[in-house]
Amino acid sequence: MIGVLFQIAMRNLVQARRRTGVLFLAVGTVTGMLVLLQAMSQGINDNMETAATTLSAGQINVAGFYKVTPGSAAPIVTNAAEVRKIVEENTPNLDYTLLRHRSWGKAVSETGTVQTALSGIIPAEEEQFFKKLQLAKEKDYVEGGSSEVIGDPRQLSEPHTVVFFANQAKRLGVQVGDVVTFKTETQVGRANTLDLKVVAVAKDLGLLSSFSCFTQRETVLELGQLDPDTTGAVWVYLKDIDEAPVTMAHLREVFTAKGYRLMDYNPNPFFFKFEDVQGEDWTGQKLDLTLWKDEVSFLSWVIIAFNSVTWFLTTILVAIITIGIMNAMWQSVRERTREIGTMRAVGLGRLQTLILFMAEAVMLGLASSVAGAAVGGGVAVAVDAANIHVPMEAMASILLSDNIHLSVKPMSVVAAVGFLTGFTGLSALWPSVRAALLQPVKALSHVE
Amino acid sequence: MAVIVALKNVVKDYPLGATTVRALRKVDLEIDEGEFTVIAGPSGSGKSTLLNLIGCIDVATSGEVNVAGENTATLNDNQLTQLRLRKIGFIFQSFNLIAVLDVFQNIEFPLLLQGRLTTADREARVMDVIEKVGLRPQLHQRPSELSGGQRQRVAIARALVTRPKLVLADEPTANLDSVTGGSIITLMRDLNRADHTTFIFSTHDQRVMEQADRVVNIHDGVVSAQGLGALDPLPGSDGVGGGDLRATMGGAIKGIPG
Repeated sequence: MIGVLFQIAMRNLVQARRRTGVLFLAVGTVTGMLVLLQAMSQGINDNMETAATTLSAGQINVAGFYKVTPGSAAPIVTNAAEVRKIVEENTPNLDYTLLRHRSWGKAVSETGTVQTALSGIIPAEEEQFFKKLQLAKEKDYVEGGSSEVIGDPRQLSEPHTVVFFANQAKRLGVQVGDVVTFKTETQVGRANTLDLKVVAVAKDLGLLSSFSCFTQRETVLELGQLDPDTTGAVWVYLKDIDEAPVTMAHLREVFTAKGYRLMDYNPNPFFFKFEDVQGEDWTGQKLDLTLWKDEVSFLSWVIIAFNSVTWFLTTILVAIITIGIMNAMWQSVRERTREIGTMRAVGLGRLQTLILFMAEAVMLGLASSVAGAAVGGGVAVAVDAANIHVPMEAMASILLSDNIHLSVKPMSVVAAVGFLTGFTGLSALWPSVRAALLQPVKALSHVE
Repeated sequence: MAVIVALKNVVKDYPLGATTVRALRKVDLEIDEGEFTVIAGPSGSGKSTLLNLIGCIDVATSGEVNVAGENTATLNDNQLTQLRLRKIGFIFQSFNLIAVLDVFQNIEFPLLLQGRLTTADREARVMDVIEKVGLRPQLHQRPSELSGGQRQRVAIARALVTRPKLVLADEPTANLDSVTGGSIITLMRDLNRADHTTFIFSTHDQRVMEQADRVVNIHDGVVSAQGLGALDPLPGSDGVGGGDLRATMGGAIKGIPG
């Protein structure tokens, strides 16, 4: 029975070709746009994840503050080896861990200065880092430079070396082989400087690469006059990044059980926390566990703003097509009132009448949204594969990448199709209910 | 014969702006199973209203309408729908076929709604009735591809395919030429005789009245006369058609509303 109702609905859609075509185009276009915007949002999210987990954070960070006096706050973890061992022994689905030292200071060249964070890495353990880091062409940071990629980031294994990002190298006016002076404060507040040789210049990774550069771990220890058994953070990488929140909660319990003092969970980057920590009345070590998103939460406005625009546009477009579909269904009910009367007289029930009209809208919604999603998804995949360079630096900062990256997630495509199909169906609900409630005798005597 | 339709003191009012129009005035009527009955009368006399009440697509303002043993006033919309689906077939003046379905599908539609038969039984039933109305060559044509007479044959087949106890036809020949209309009436009469299905028509058509077992005359919402039609005259009558019923069938009149 349902089959014949769907058959009638389908044929009515075909019969009203022009109306169906216009609605098909409208719903399909909105779905395609929604899929494209979601792909762009997901692309920014991916860029942020890549940039953050390369430059600023592990998927989970076991960091903390050490306070000699209540008014001080050093963003270091003492007994780093033991903390790392606890992490490695108690993290389910662990991929690997890294130790990263954090320092903040000023890089000074002959022609410029740059305020930047300096990450101290252990090159022998950073295979993933070297894989993710892409080197810039010389012309990206040297005026009149060649298209060649110069330098080797693996030279970070040598002391007093540094890898800058292209935008920093450009501002400093340096290239591979040049020397810059890095100036910072030690943990006891004394100024300290070191000369660092530029061994490579990396391609920018959006906004984050404006204030991050890399050196050898020992160089950071030397600059900050730190104990060798300290670290800025233990970065934890899991086999599945989606498990990070649950795993972090688990690690909090583990550290608490082992007698470590933990700061309350605060989803912000470590450098937002100095003032609060300095105002707290405790000394010694406290661990602070965060997720990668927390360490780049100051960038979340990009995604929030983008998603807000996406939903604003979607809401307006959906409102327009809702009115369009409702109007089309009213017209369909009006045109077919006598047919409704006939079918009701022959024995079609009210529920079946409702199904008949709803089926028409849902079939239209499903077919058009699937087509729209296929086109939108196809365009997104094609644009991503084309690896289009973002021409404007400001735009690249917002997109957190030099290239336009769109990522189509199957679930978001399914959600877009479901959303538009559902809305199309809902738009038709009231006209369909009215059709179902028509009295057969009144419907049969309807004059068109 | 068992009574299939019984109306007692039936009144039907329609609101018309601030006033009320009385379409039926205390109508009493009984129709037996297997009868081929015509409801005759001028336009606006209440023929269609009477058929609508008997067909359970409208409800009386007062009085009692019994169809196939059911008092329709006591049934809800779903029960009325089921009664129509299982016991009543409709043939409309304008054929009222579903435009997007072909001949076979239009006829199959009520059987699908009933949902009782297997696909094979359903197809056999449809083909049987298609043979009866002579539409086999048009099996997969849409209504728009058929002539008026062919469309009405489809409507007849659709009304008969569920083997209803009662078939209601609202001026079935009004939109047909005289030859086609005549053949349609003959077809329905043959089906009535073969299956003993009860047929009730509303019509002005003299040819239909001539085929009827009984003609019910209605005027201004009042049943003014009932009598036998020409083909099955009462014993002793001269077989004159429904047009002169009051004059010729005086003894056969079953009742006149008060």
